[in-house]
Amino acid sequence: MAVAGAGMVTVAGAVLFIPGEQGSQAAGSAPRAVVQGDPLTAQEIARASTIASAGSREHMAAGQVKLLYVERDDDKEADERRRADAYLYDYSADRLIVRTVDLDRGTVVEESVARGVQPPPSKAEEATAAELLLAHPQYGGGVRESYARAGGRQLRSAADLGLRGLIFTPAGERGPARHCGIHRCLRLFVRLPDKTWLDTSRIVVDLSAKKIHTLEW
Amino acid sequence: MFLRLALSCVMLAGGLGSAQAASAQAAPATHGAQVASAPQAMTGAQAAPAPQAMTATRAVTGAGAPASAAHAVRAPAPPCSAPYRIDKTLPNGARWQLCWEMRNIEGLTLTKVVYTPKGNRAVTVLRSTALAQIHVPYDSGRPRYHDIGALGYTAIALQSADCPGGERREQFVCVTTRARGHAYLKSDYDGPNTSAQGHDLVVFSAFQVGWYTYLVEWAFSDDGSITPRVGATGSLSGFTTTPEHGWPIGVGARTFETSHNHNIFWRLDFDVAGKADDLVEQYDFSGSGTAKRKLERTAFARETKAVNGPMRWWRVVDQKVRNADGHRVSWEINNADSSEYRGPANEAFTRADVYVSTYRSCERLATINPSPGCAKSVDRYINGERVKDPVVWVNVGYHHVPRDEDGDLMPTHWQGFRVTARDVTAKNPR
Ligand SMILES: [Cu+2]
Repeated sequence: MAVAGAGMVTVAGAVLFIPGEQGSQAAGSAPRAVVQGDPLTAQEIARASTIASAGSREHMAAGQVKLLYVERDDDKEADERRRADAYLYDYSADRLIVRTVDLDRGTVVEESVARGVQPPPSKAEEATAAELLLAHPQYGGGVRESYARAGGRQLRSAADLGLRGLIFTPAGERGPARHCGIHRCLRLFVRLPDKTWLDTSRIVVDLSAKKIHTLEW
Repeated sequence: MFLRLALSCVMLAGGLGSAQAASAQAAPATHGAQVASAPQAMTGAQAAPAPQAMTATRAVTGAGAPASAAHAVRAPAPPCSAPYRIDKTLPNGARWQLCWEMRNIEGLTLTKVVYTPKGNRAVTVLRSTALAQIHVPYDSGRPRYHDIGALGYTAIALQSADCPGGERREQFVCVTTRARGHAYLKSDYDGPNTSAQGHDLVVFSAFQVGWYTYLVEWAFSDDGSITPRVGATGSLSGFTTTPEHGWPIGVGARTFETSHNHNIFWRLDFDVAGKADDLVEQYDFSGSGTAKRKLERTAFARETKAVNGPMRWWRVVDQKVRNADGHRVSWEINNADSSEYRGPANEAFTRADVYVSTYRSCERLATINPSPGCAKSVDRYINGERVKDPVVWVNVGYHHVPRDEDGDLMPTHWQGFRVTARDVTAKNPR
């Protein structure tokens, strides 16, 4: 450990692993140096998040921009660098911001912004989508009823549901769901305590408009 | 001898990439055990005198042999640390080395895949491979899912029974070895048969996407072939439809479960014997209805969409690195098991079976690509650019017409394709 030699990457101030919730190195694993091809550690994820969020602090505080997740940058043209891509989404402007953080330098080395580009939903977004679904005058009651029937108990919150989100992009849809793609829209799979899934195939949660759309076919 | 040496230098130079600089430096002594598994390791067959530049990498004198302390200091470190490192020498002596990563978006991703046939030099095969999409259009027209959400989040924690005979890595990845039947068998008129049983190194993860469980698996065989495949199990969605779009499930013929396709896309960034000089070729054999057939080779100098055809296959060939017979080293791609789904105009990504693009780090998924400043689907990646460093996208469809047996739990239905070593060694390296 004293020598960070060939193939080792010294993450400034972060050589030792500190257990955390995210990242591939599970809590309790032995501390070790990070090698170039390793997944990001929880500590690197936390560090990349902080660095990448610095440019959007105000908008993040206002809830307008959210950090979706951090992914190891695997660009083979930059193979010698330890880099992380932070995905941020601006819901009011419908813009995706991807900031590439060089973990050795501790700076954002690349930023790209686009409208109409939708990376997969984050866990937090799945929860937000479920809350919107539960708040829906019609579907909210339906979900609660199904939950009570399947679990023999009342649903307390969206956290009780098993959730899985996919990006919805319209394929010839009419109605308000046609804005999806520019809007950030999710399909949501909702798992009940009896291991069944609700039929949510016609439901789209529009996180930009904070609305539920019902697909018609 | 001169020719062979010169060529193996090329192969090494290509294979080393950015790790090359590191290889000349000292590795920590604690990495001794891993040094033996360095992808750049040379095997006994290459024991001839070597130019100075190569000596540092000649640490290992036999597949799987432990490196001596003196050698360990000079050998390059593996590209990832132990929990993410897979290094398996199969019973016939073939060795596979790679790294795995559970990425948020693509889920299980394998990188820096290196194959060492028994008694031969190591050769790089893939820089990385992962799923690029699972597109599920139902025959009734709706719904149409793109099942890659954040696939990494949906990984199922595997229990020991889910990884028979294998080793679980950080709960989500199973690394195991599996019998693959006869590697070969030949009779002798007055002696015993000559035969051997083959084995696969298997790396897989399972993902829960709605009703479906997807088993995402790569098998690395001891003959140098790779079989990527996905199994769908779990439960049917329960979407019902009219008779023409489905099949009656359960008692009588009142409810029809909707048929659908699973169009699975893989992204394979081949770096055959290193990144340089790789070319994708298509092979056809013309002469349908005739006694003779003629081999036809088409080189994809520019980005190309290709469709399947009878006897058609592709290969990624290194134009410079040759085996001991002087033949170019390559991996062949065969996509013969696809249902070849063709969707509407707004799903142009379904209209080819193999796509060859030049490497771009932002081109990651075959549809709903998550990178700004990059096209959104694989059909748009193909825009006439010269292919400097080929990435191959393989689209394999499976048309799932439900049957009574699919009633819970759904039996696994598999789909995949074959990647076969072609002229990597001068003969069967058994
Ligand atoms: Cu199916």
